[in-house]
Amino acid sequence: MDAVAGHLDERGAPIVSLVEITKRFEGVVALDGVSLDVAAGEVVVVLGENGAGKSTLVNVMIGALQPNEGTIYVRGQRVSHQDPAAARRQGINAVLQDFSLAPSLSVADNLFLGREPMRLFIRDRARARREGREAMQMLGVNIDVDTPVLFLSRAEQQMVEIVKALCGRPGALILDEPTATLTGEETRRLFEIVTRLKSEGWGVLYITHRMEEVQRLGDRVVVLRDGRHISTYRVANVSETHLIQDMVGRPLSALYPAKVSATTNAPPVLRVDNLTSKDKKILGVSLEVRPGEIVGIAGLVRSGCSEVARACFGLIELDQGFIEIAGGRVEKPDLRKMLHLGLIYLPQDRRGEALSLSRTIEENVSLEVLGEWRYSPFGLVNHAAVHEAVDAITERLDVRPRNIHQPVVSLSGGNQQKVVLGRALTRPRSVYVFDEPTAGVDVGARQAIYHHMHEICKSGAGILFASSDLEEIVHLSSRVYVMHEGRIQTELHGDEINDEAVVSYSFGRDSANRGTLRASN
Amino acid sequence: MQATDSRNNPVVQLGDGLRNIFAKTGALPFLLVILVVVFQLANSRFLGRQNMEDMLHEGVFLALASLGQMFILVSGGFDLSIGSNIALTSISSASVMAAVYGVHPGAAGQAIAAGAATAAVVGLVVGLVNGVGVAVLGVNPFIVTLATASAFQGITLLISQGQEVGGLPNAFITSVGSGSWLGLPIAGWVTLPLVLGLYVLLAWARYGRYIFAIGSNAAAARVAGVHVGLQVLATYVICAVATAIAGFLLTARVSAGEPLLGAEYTLQSITAAVIGGASLRGGRGSIGGTLLGVVFVIFLADGMDLMRLGSNHEMIALGLVLIFAVVADRQRAKAVAAGYQKRLISQSDPATEG
Repeated sequence: MDAVAGHLDERGAPIVSLVEITKRFEGVVALDGVSLDVAAGEVVVVLGENGAGKSTLVNVMIGALQPNEGTIYVRGQRVSHQDPAAARRQGINAVLQDFSLAPSLSVADNLFLGREPMRLFIRDRARARREGREAMQMLGVNIDVDTPVLFLSRAEQQMVEIVKALCGRPGALILDEPTATLTGEETRRLFEIVTRLKSEGWGVLYITHRMEEVQRLGDRVVVLRDGRHISTYRVANVSETHLIQDMVGRPLSALYPAKVSATTNAPPVLRVDNLTSKDKKILGVSLEVRPGEIVGIAGLVRSGCSEVARACFGLIELDQGFIEIAGGRVEKPDLRKMLHLGLIYLPQDRRGEALSLSRTIEENVSLEVLGEWRYSPFGLVNHAAVHEAVDAITERLDVRPRNIHQPVVSLSGGNQQKVVLGRALTRPRSVYVFDEPTAGVDVGARQAIYHHMHEICKSGAGILFASSDLEEIVHLSSRVYVMHEGRIQTELHGDEINDEAVVSYSFGRDSANRGTLRASN
Repeated sequence: MQATDSRNNPVVQLGDGLRNIFAKTGALPFLLVILVVVFQLANSRFLGRQNMEDMLHEGVFLALASLGQMFILVSGGFDLSIGSNIALTSISSASVMAAVYGVHPGAAGQAIAAGAATAAVVGLVVGLVNGVGVAVLGVNPFIVTLATASAFQGITLLISQGQEVGGLPNAFITSVGSGSWLGLPIAGWVTLPLVLGLYVLLAWARYGRYIFAIGSNAAAARVAGVHVGLQVLATYVICAVATAIAGFLLTARVSAGEPLLGAEYTLQSITAAVIGGASLRGGRGSIGGTLLGVVFVIFLADGMDLMRLGSNHEMIALGLVLIFAVVADRQRAKAVAAGYQKRLISQSDPATEG
């Protein structure tokens, strides 16, 4: 840390500094004497597992929470009682995980919400649209300002949030886990924008738990754990292993388990033949999964990876094609039939599709298997049997807290994802289809999830997973299908699976631009 | 740890304790105590034997309707057609009973049975109509049941020509209407097994788990393989049948088929369920809580009666209570969240993990 302090003079004056900030909730310390500053023209990455205090830090910085102890300086001026509006006026802008956009209003209306340009007493809509369009163009974002926000994808909404933040006074921009729900291409665009803002003299505070983003974006990296400031490094001077150790507080053995490969000559557990969806998001997709292998589906946004996973489970209406599973042929998959045939799908959207948040761990894990006779003879729940089964699963997955009567809403993202996985483990199945198995999940839980995917394969089942996490695709898959514009562009085996190949094929074979994703390194 | 400092502080402990009770049960126990004290002070007959019996009689009907309503709330829906259902049941079953009894004056038992069967059929049909609207056609339950409430009311008035239906068997009125056995009204004896049945459905049956999951997140329940439409349909049928039975019992109580019977039950049932812990956002509710909510609503209405405040005042009070219940529900959700937040933070602290 002293070494870093020595570098301080090399940087510009801090736009915002937190000094010895302590924040307690009901006697529990969420932030414990954390100091941190962001200077003009630098990107500071804050790294930490869930519960490390990252969000509290952001909320203190933008004035949504008042610290119990410590001081905040903005451009060298001490600020005593901060609130979000005042913070914005001082040039502290934030794009949080939960967006603050009004879905039914247009992009332009959202950009100027609360500070609409006026002409006498009438809103000057023409000016708002013009200025909104200019702001979009400046950032190279191609979004029609008249579109109601609800029609935009999450990535586009995030862009609108960023543009909105940038319409304020220049200064600091806080991005709280901005890539949690973005795909590779969207992430690349976001990184371009961050790099550009940096060159324009913005100070960026970038909150994440993704290791690879530190290298790509950061000038400095701050590691938080359990509400404490653990370390600060110049990104150039620190290794990934070092950061992981600081983050988890214990050495983490290799994140990814050894690769598995298919049991030779065994017939596929799942075969998809020439699948085309009614909405044309997937076109003529054929693939197969053999017992004991982990098959990845990679691709850019809207390339259809997620949709293939959903289609296998009957969540997307098919126009043509069929699925072969358990020796039978399914023309019109519906999810109850697929579950019956031994295929389970684990959705990407935990809050939207995977979990009943207000219900308990036990209820969520057992929901799918509850119909079995041993768990509900004569339609009446055998509580003891359910309890025992769920207990065994949560112990195996190390779900914390272990109390299975606690609602899942109270769990961290990683533990919620384990609950989703737990539901799949309630009975043996032949095919497990994951959609973004580790989105928004901390490193510890990630490692556990990979480990259990590995275990599933060893038991002879097959896994198909769609992921926009390049690292995950490359390190986990025994085979990879790379998708481009709804079609399977190629299939990669063994040593062919590497960053360059996946990226270049996902941009389409012809326009293959090797290392596009690496360009921002 | 700083955390332990505050844990030893008795004031903080007391505050935490009260908040935990509030988080678990809501504001209802507190309110009930206040209500009883106020009404008893205002009129010492309030807790008297006669008044308690009257209240028990009233409570039976509301309990059935409220439990049905609570099932629907748990599954994330609404039923605004409860009042119309009661009126329709009353008119239909009374008409059938009067007709049978008119033809066979000696066959009071058969007439009552025919009336009960009619009530059950009406409940089934009403439930299917509502359920199909919500679960199959996918229309918002608020709109579906508001529309069917109007339609059922219209049918009731068409059948009855706006007149009450008399000529019911005397046995029906004296036994089902006002008879009691071992201190419990006959209507109560009819209701008791139904309440037990509903309890088993909600707390022990697979179906109960399904509707809690659906109310909490219907999309997730679907992905987990739950037949969402079917379960939701069943919920509307259960509610409507329970309500129709209430309507049948109520008909005996008022000794005639009434075309405007039970209008107040829609709001009262929602109030009782919500103040008893059911959430308007779905996924939460309990039999015990709802019954306590029914007690509250009955106490309120009856106590105000004893204070010689008419039904107009009751309506005002009930409206205010409902608003209060919804606000309290939101506060409680926050209290629950705060409780877990605290635990979550202390869990992430390795020192307390032990």
